[in-house]
Amino acid sequence: MFNQQGLSLDQAPPITVVFRFFLLGSLFGILSGVSLFVYQTDIFNTSSIAAVTFTHLLTLGVMLSSMFAALFQMLPVISGIKLSSPLKKANLLLYPFTLGTIALLLGFNFPNMKWLFLIAALLLSFAILTAITPMLKELLKLQNHTPSSKGMGIALLSLGIIVFLALYLLSTLSGIIEGTLYTQIKTAHYSFGLFGWVALLILSISFQVIEMFYVTPPYPDLVSRYLPLTLFTVLILSTFISLFYANIWIVSNILLVLLLTLYALLTLRRLSQKKRPLSDATVWFWRLGLSALLLSLLSHLLQILTTLEILKPLSYIFFASFALSILFAMFYKIVPFLTWFHLSSQGYFSAPMMHEIIHPKTAKKHLYIHLATVVTFVLSLFMPLFIFLAGVLTVLSFTWMAYQLIHANKRYKDTQKNGEKFEMGNM
Amino acid sequence: MMISSYMKHEHRACDTLFAQAEEAMAAGDWNLADERFLAFANETLRHFKREEEILFPAFETQTGMTQGPTQVMKYEHEQVRGLIGNMAKAIEKQDKDAALSLAESMMILLQQHNMKEEQMLYAMCDRQLPPELKEHTLESMKKVAL
Repeated sequence: MFNQQGLSLDQAPPITVVFRFFLLGSLFGILSGVSLFVYQTDIFNTSSIAAVTFTHLLTLGVMLSSMFAALFQMLPVISGIKLSSPLKKANLLLYPFTLGTIALLLGFNFPNMKWLFLIAALLLSFAILTAITPMLKELLKLQNHTPSSKGMGIALLSLGIIVFLALYLLSTLSGIIEGTLYTQIKTAHYSFGLFGWVALLILSISFQVIEMFYVTPPYPDLVSRYLPLTLFTVLILSTFISLFYANIWIVSNILLVLLLTLYALLTLRRLSQKKRPLSDATVWFWRLGLSALLLSLLSHLLQILTTLEILKPLSYIFFASFALSILFAMFYKIVPFLTWFHLSSQGYFSAPMMHEIIHPKTAKKHLYIHLATVVTFVLSLFMPLFIFLAGVLTVLSFTWMAYQLIHANKRYKDTQKNGEKFEMGNM
Repeated sequence: MMISSYMKHEHRACDTLFAQAEEAMAAGDWNLADERFLAFANETLRHFKREEEILFPAFETQTGMTQGPTQVMKYEHEQVRGLIGNMAKAIEKQDKDAALSLAESMMILLQQHNMKEEQMLYAMCDRQLPPELKEHTLESMKKVAL
């Protein structure tokens, strides 16, 4: 008979790796909600400390943590890559990453303590670069690339570039260098962050998971093969040209908006062609996320063409809604599946089914909370008091996420402790 | 014809049959669900048989890799067979929640499995098997019945 251990489980990461990063993401999410009570609508003034802190709480704290959770899970599936000692690698990333993020957030808020930026620079660059280097190396070795594995490689490369750009910014903030190119590097940093990392990773994963989870027609070859590389090329060229001619970002932003609009419309179309009958919460999270992306791109485009101030925060709110919606869509597929998969692979007859770990209705409730959060953020642009409600809903949304993880983990541990096991030796 | 394109086509055909069965379960039309699920199960099990009896041995003989990817795939087939059994029971009991929950697990498990086969195993078969053997393997697979 087959040896259970070391076969298919061999390619799946230990469940705790995925759970820990999702939990870290949800904790930073709760913190971001709490921070709204302090910063209030200052977060909409993009040059304020409040905005920088809040943005990094979401991008670094919530999204990067959760994307690492998804990456540890998706990388072996999408590319067949088996990361050696994943638990060790995950720990080497988790602790310095957490401390580095906290140091950075404190650094923004205590400008006199410049050494915090140095600590953040050291810890974050060590953690992120140590994590992505082996992933990139393995991806480079692949003989059979799919659009997803290629796109993931490009997204990881972008993440590496973001780290180097951040090192320049942090060296300037901590007073080590003069930072004559600070403004240009800052633009490149957030452009790579939003388009090169967040958007590129999401679209690369979607090339595989939209077809796989919902049974849709595949993306056209032209899109899945060339879109990630095109986005990346636009970003790289713009960064170099901007060192001499800063206005190049206007042209490249219009181009990026058009490319991502095409992607969002195409993905919405694919979802409407799905063969699976049910539209569970994850389908709606995708639809909500893609619609938010379209609204964000539209606000971004209008902001380039007009001088209407409100468009800038509007495009940020919708972009964050896009990224978080997709994160939740992936979360509600990954967590119940992994819990069931690990337990049934370990031979437990009594492994709970996916719906027993997280019921679709529970995910649907989270969808409504998330939707309400997005709406209250938009309302708070016009009626500032709504920001407190947005804060409460953000805390609720991420507490919901954390609770699902704790619950899934409890079911996992309980089954391991009390479950009836199928012993291969008895065969 | 390449092994990968033939086998990929079979994967997609099974996906469609599965989606149709799921649609009937969601609608609570249990007779139709039973009929469609049977069609899916038969097609999937025949596909597994083609692999386990023809393709995998050809690959193992050609490469000498008997403890590698084919073992993983066979193990995953066992997991899917187990799920097919559980789903059939849920359909028989007309337990909608259990049937749809198992359907979700089945879909993700199958898709992960298909991805590994399409990206690694079939590609390796197309590369490693000499043209004549590839042709022979394909023809033999087409003749497999349940």
